[in-house]
Amino acid sequence: MADIYIVLIVSLISWAGIFFYLIRLDLCLKKMEKRYEE
Amino acid sequence: MVSKSYGWVDAVLALIKKDLIDECRTRFAFTSIILFAMTTLVMVSFSTGAFVLDSGLHAAFLWIIIFFSSMTALARSFIKEEEQGTARILKISTTPEVVFIAKLMFNLVMLLGLLVVLYPLYLVLMNPPAANNNLLVMLFLILGSSCLAGTTTILAAIVSQAGAKHTLLPIIAFPVLLPVLLTAIRGTGLALVGNFLNVVLPDLIFLFSFLVIIVTASLLLFPFVWED
Amino acid sequence: MNLCKYLLGIWMILVLLGAFLYAPTALGLGHLSRIIYFHVPLAWVGVLAYFIAMLNSISYLKRGSLLNDQIAVVNAEIGLIFTLLATVTGAVFARYTWGVFWNWDPRQTSIFVLLLIYGAYFILRSAVEDEEKRARMASVFSIIAFISVPFLVFIIPRVYATLHPDPIISFESGFQMDSKMFQVFLASLIGFTGIYGWIASLYYRYLVIRTRIEGDLNNG
Repeated sequence: MADIYIVLIVSLISWAGIFFYLIRLDLCLKKMEKRYEE
Repeated sequence: MVSKSYGWVDAVLALIKKDLIDECRTRFAFTSIILFAMTTLVMVSFSTGAFVLDSGLHAAFLWIIIFFSSMTALARSFIKEEEQGTARILKISTTPEVVFIAKLMFNLVMLLGLLVVLYPLYLVLMNPPAANNNLLVMLFLILGSSCLAGTTTILAAIVSQAGAKHTLLPIIAFPVLLPVLLTAIRGTGLALVGNFLNVVLPDLIFLFSFLVIIVTASLLLFPFVWED
Repeated sequence: MNLCKYLLGIWMILVLLGAFLYAPTALGLGHLSRIIYFHVPLAWVGVLAYFIAMLNSISYLKRGSLLNDQIAVVNAEIGLIFTLLATVTGAVFARYTWGVFWNWDPRQTSIFVLLLIYGAYFILRSAVEDEEKRARMASVFSIIAFISVPFLVFIIPRVYATLHPDPIISFESGFQMDSKMFQVFLASLIGFTGIYGWIASLYYRYLVIRTRIEGDLNNG
């Protein structure tokens, strides 16, 4: 039973990592796009 | 309009004749396909001589030989045009559809020629179970080969326009042909054992509908590949 | 727009929690059955991505705008990765359920074929130099290859009748999924589609900016 919780926690952490990486990419792109609007 | 459609069939026949004559002169494609098939057949026969194989294995070997032989030979129909520099003239002399149908027929003739040589030899060398259903087996072989010809014609055209690298064709063709191969192998295996039409009917329908759809799609898409 | 993304973040957290805690184990496999909530959505996105790429290919052939070809490539790349992940998760599942990583089970074969089609697509693209020709050849190929996919999908029900029953198939064709399982499954499907859409839009925006920058560098 304990094993499944470990998998869950690892997945949650991985998802958090992926998610914030994507958000970072998104904001970075947004910044570049704003710069090119001028 | 009547004279125009007469010209269309004429053009196709003329192209096929040209390719056949060229083939008869060099005999390159046909010999290479026969040689490849024979070599593979001999290897298979020699290595499995001691065993009695079941029909599924026989079907698989047959189709492996047919598939790889066709890969070596069918690409040539278009690549040859590129290499000899005649592609340009072909492009302006007639409509893409005519070229496609002619090449398709030529590839079909090649494959049927292969079957005529291969199947009897296979029966002799490999001793598959006595098929009282020879007709059904041959039907599968012909139908499957038609599907092979149907897909490889347009794919060979793509390969010839894409740098004319021969080795590209098997890579491109295999995923597209996998359903055909699986069904053909299964159907041929069933037919070899002596099953009747009703058992293998779904497979036949499958192959036939694939043939129709792929030829129609290729006919529609070929102009995009062939235009300059 | 941003709200949607944060919502997606929370949605996926819920999906993960649901998959591991809320949904019951099933199919007599214990916790291994939970892989379904990841494996199937991955495969679904792989097929969806290819479908969208093919639609863009048709668009390109009809209208000749290289933009469509660009979008097709973007979707194909993402689709390839998702399909790869789906194949791997499937193989892992196979190993622990049936003892082998791979046995050419119809489902495995079909995902493998999808992988091959993606591979062939990119190999073909790399073989053509001219931009326009490349787009044309790749588009025609993706359409032709797509034609064989439904045929493959229809082999499966018939071959299945002669092979050992594949639990995944039997549960997709009529066997009632536990309602909790179904909820998590659906939620996961939606979530993964959302992730795919987001990644696709990011990639596309990146390419747009990059061509802008390169254009400016060339002109300025």
